[in-house]
Amino acid sequence: MSKLKERYTLTQSQKMMVFILSMSLYGLSNMITELVPSVNLGPIEFSIEYFAFIPLTLCMLFHPLYAAVGAALGEIIFGEIMLGQFGGFGELEKFIAFSLAMFIAGTLVRDPKNKRQVAVAALTGVIIHQAISAMVDILKVWVGVEELESVPGLAESVVVIEGFAFLNDILFSGILFALLPTVYLVPRLYGKIEPLLGMKPRHNQMSYSLAEIIGPRLVVGGIFLAGAAFLFEYLSEAGFNWEWEADFVAMFGDSFIWVSILAAALLAVITIIIMLRKNTTNRENERIL
Amino acid sequence: MEYTSKFTEKLSVEQMKIELLNTAYGNGDTFLAKLDPRTLFIWYLFFGIVPWFIHNQVVLFGMFVLMVVLTVLTKVSPLIVFILCLGLLGQGGYLLIASLFFGGDGTVILPLLLLTLKLSVISLASITVFCSMDPEKLSNGLLKIGVPGQVSFSIAYGYRMLPSLLEEYHHVFLSFRLRGKAPDRHGFLYWRSIVYFCKIAVLSFYPLLLSTAKRARTTVEALETKGSFYGFNHPKVKKIKLAHLRMGTRDYLFLAFSIIYIVSVFTLGNFTS
Repeated sequence: MSKLKERYTLTQSQKMMVFILSMSLYGLSNMITELVPSVNLGPIEFSIEYFAFIPLTLCMLFHPLYAAVGAALGEIIFGEIMLGQFGGFGELEKFIAFSLAMFIAGTLVRDPKNKRQVAVAALTGVIIHQAISAMVDILKVWVGVEELESVPGLAESVVVIEGFAFLNDILFSGILFALLPTVYLVPRLYGKIEPLLGMKPRHNQMSYSLAEIIGPRLVVGGIFLAGAAFLFEYLSEAGFNWEWEADFVAMFGDSFIWVSILAAALLAVITIIIMLRKNTTNRENERIL
Repeated sequence: MEYTSKFTEKLSVEQMKIELLNTAYGNGDTFLAKLDPRTLFIWYLFFGIVPWFIHNQVVLFGMFVLMVVLTVLTKVSPLIVFILCLGLLGQGGYLLIASLFFGGDGTVILPLLLLTLKLSVISLASITVFCSMDPEKLSNGLLKIGVPGQVSFSIAYGYRMLPSLLEEYHHVFLSFRLRGKAPDRHGFLYWRSIVYFCKIAVLSFYPLLLSTAKRARTTVEALETKGSFYGFNHPKVKKIKLAHLRMGTRDYLFLAFSIIYIVSVFTLGNFTS
């Protein structure tokens, strides 16, 4: 019995295979979606945001953690950095949001042959991801544009645009490019693709230690977000003072900005290090029972 | 529409493969490419983050000029610059229209321009840094700064494999088109054709998933044969592998130049405002 259980443990190489597979495929799909033009119909944008079905399918068929992290990394490397759309802070956020959403979607599925379960999981994954990213996008413009309150119409328009984008992504990308393909692909690939990687199909009664994986990541993300939000707020206030007040204050504001920048950079580095640590430890500890 | 879509599709896929290979391997002789990866990471850490917190036009513009010069020096492929411009203009213009719609006026333009400038500085920084590193160098650099070996290998592998994956995807896509039947009529606003193409684009991933899985297995087996997994996690092996990475005079000069430039831009910005 113990031998049988041993077999469902992913070896180092199998984890690597899932990781590589997910990263290169989702990277490829990102390149394609970047090239496909979007059609604007008034305020509604018909664009293929992403081929979410690829990470969703892989998360449901293989170990969700490696597939999710691989896909998120693939997106950042090939969809963002390589094409020059890297947004600094936002990307870390996106990485966490995306891998979290995909991971949750993957764990929701117990039986990949059950289409209803797959459909619910796929939609949940997309909704979680889009909700987080819409909030972050709103925050991004609020940070980037300092005089937001003084510019009439901008704040409302950002919120409305993001709201539109959120609904559009769920309805358009979510259903056409996440729900339908995933429901089509997962039952078909189940049992076919696993032998190619030299592993057994996912067992119905698998359980993941959710707390172990999400716990530290969520905590880190939360601390990071809270810290960033605080910093941004503080900073914009400092910037405001700096522009309007006297010379002495100007000097103070200037040096203060440097302090903030240093703090922000430090925070980012610490977060990255912690995340990498967590990833590696998880990779070693993680087992499919 | 049919002809243009066919034309652009062929053009973009072929073009993309070439551009990708170019991005991955074609920039070995530029100035930035000769720098140590760590220098580039440090440099990028600054230019990827700091512009978010700067609201001074002069400073941002000074940074932008530096980025443009470096982008030209790096010989970034036109396709990538084009995609970048499209994205930036699209976002900025869209926000502008929407805020005008909600009762904003001419004053909206300036903050939006500033935001676009900011975004373009950050984007150009990432383009210059990551286009001037070939996969090998990127992976070594990442390994050096402590990224796990598996991750840094996967990134290098992905860079290398993407062009051939793209080609394979294109083949599958074309064979789907060859065997399938295109819609007789385009329908209103070409929706039939669009749906047809989207469907094929998704379906093409089915064979690709299987073949990529096979490829991933082959790769990992080859890695095992070479003992890479041992190498990934043992500091001694890492040390030997990364012994060739050195910060040279060139690196320090580059960093020093950047610092001087930034400081002078900041002083100028302070002075004028």
